[in-house]
Amino acid sequence: MHIMEGFLPTPWWQIWFAVYIPVILYGIHKLNRLVKEKREILPLLAVAGAFVFVLSSLKLPSVTGSSSHPTGTGVAAIIFGPAISAVLGTIVLLYQALFLAHGGITTMGANVFSMGIVGPLVAYLVYKAGMKAKLNFYAVIFLASALGNWATYVTTSMQLALAFPAGGVLTFGGFLSSFGKFAAVFAITQLPLAIMEGAVSALLFKYVVNVKSEILVEMKVIEDSVVRKLKGIST
Amino acid sequence: MTNILDDYALMSPLRHRNNWLKLAIVLFGLLVGVSSTSPITPFFIALCMSFTTIVLGRAPFKLYLKLLLAPLGFAITGVIIIAFFSGSGHELLSFELIGYPLSVKADGLELALLVLSRSLSGMCCLYFLSLTTPMIELFAVLKATRLPESVIELSMLIYRYIFVFLDMALSIRYAQTVRLGYSNFRRSIHSMGMLGSTLFIRTWEQGDKLFLAMNSRCYDGKMTLFEVHRPLRATELVLTFAYFLSTVILFYFTKNISIV
Repeated sequence: MHIMEGFLPTPWWQIWFAVYIPVILYGIHKLNRLVKEKREILPLLAVAGAFVFVLSSLKLPSVTGSSSHPTGTGVAAIIFGPAISAVLGTIVLLYQALFLAHGGITTMGANVFSMGIVGPLVAYLVYKAGMKAKLNFYAVIFLASALGNWATYVTTSMQLALAFPAGGVLTFGGFLSSFGKFAAVFAITQLPLAIMEGAVSALLFKYVVNVKSEILVEMKVIEDSVVRKLKGIST
Repeated sequence: MTNILDDYALMSPLRHRNNWLKLAIVLFGLLVGVSSTSPITPFFIALCMSFTTIVLGRAPFKLYLKLLLAPLGFAITGVIIIAFFSGSGHELLSFELIGYPLSVKADGLELALLVLSRSLSGMCCLYFLSLTTPMIELFAVLKATRLPESVIELSMLIYRYIFVFLDMALSIRYAQTVRLGYSNFRRSIHSMGMLGSTLFIRTWEQGDKLFLAMNSRCYDGKMTLFEVHRPLRATELVLTFAYFLSTVILFYFTKNISIV
């Protein structure tokens, strides 16, 4: 859910930038440390960023006739963790604003907050919790990326509702009523979209496990024992 | 997806103008547009920027119109919600939909128009930048902003690989389509998953190869870039100042004007 350039009025786009800057500084700090430790990680991160961009610019098969794109950040968060995803998300969103005119410069703060921070964070937490509970790997991927997508969409609705509360003045009631309306309208496309993104992500991981599971083990996404179980090899 | 705006920017005659001047024009437009209180100034900015992009930048007119229409879906949904549900003034229009009263109030409509015009002006500014300035030119600017080295390096590499993978994704998708991979909904989902996973694995191999290639060429975490020196011309400066001045004057005089 990209908020368009110029859509957020004056106090709000600065506020979202203020929220976003500390997080991104932390992400950059983490990135710098990672690069210093393991220099070979930078090319890998670069191709991962390009992967997220390409994934998010592919059209999903549409349900309602509208064109719809996956966010792709759920997959990135599961593989690289939320802090790095935030940095990758920022760069990808900047390119999307400049190449495809999705989103904008003044609304970057708000967009990165919803798509690069909240979405991946939720996806990551769901994934970790699900793996700890020893649920089925693919089910966990499905849940993580669908819930991450929903979290993004709820955050966007919240941002819009804060900027344009019902009644014109920001009150709690006005915010709630406006939030309900934005959420309800976007739900028409976002609810099925998130489920589809979940399904595609789960399939993506299924094929990767089948063909090249050692990448995932190497990145510490899943443990070797889980892979063996998924492939039906007894230990 | 196939319309990467960078392709057009590379051919634009405005490509060879000073980057900082272009950035200043865009930032000025964005900031004035977003802080304006009447829809007139943003419309003026949108007009000026469109004129510059199409006439001076020689962007194809049809493409430009298409580009403007693409993100409007989001804008119009949002604007309709604002028009119907915010505001407290007198009602302009009201009707009932399935027993649920809906009404458009004067200040709600005003706000909706304002938001629409701001989005339009912002989009025109962004399109001006993306249709006249290729990303390569902007990297030199990024270097000068003293962002951390690793982030700039990362964005340059990402930029390079977007094109490699986009090509790959398009050809895989083509191959899948030819084999009826998108003929129904279930198959489409499967094909998407397969496409994503192949892309991921290829990405990974490419990353390994890239590291090897760069390492053997003594990569030490820095790629040197040279900024092409492009002096400002008097006519450009005069035009820019005329534009800035007229926008600011318009901004000042239309501060309290409302259309509705």
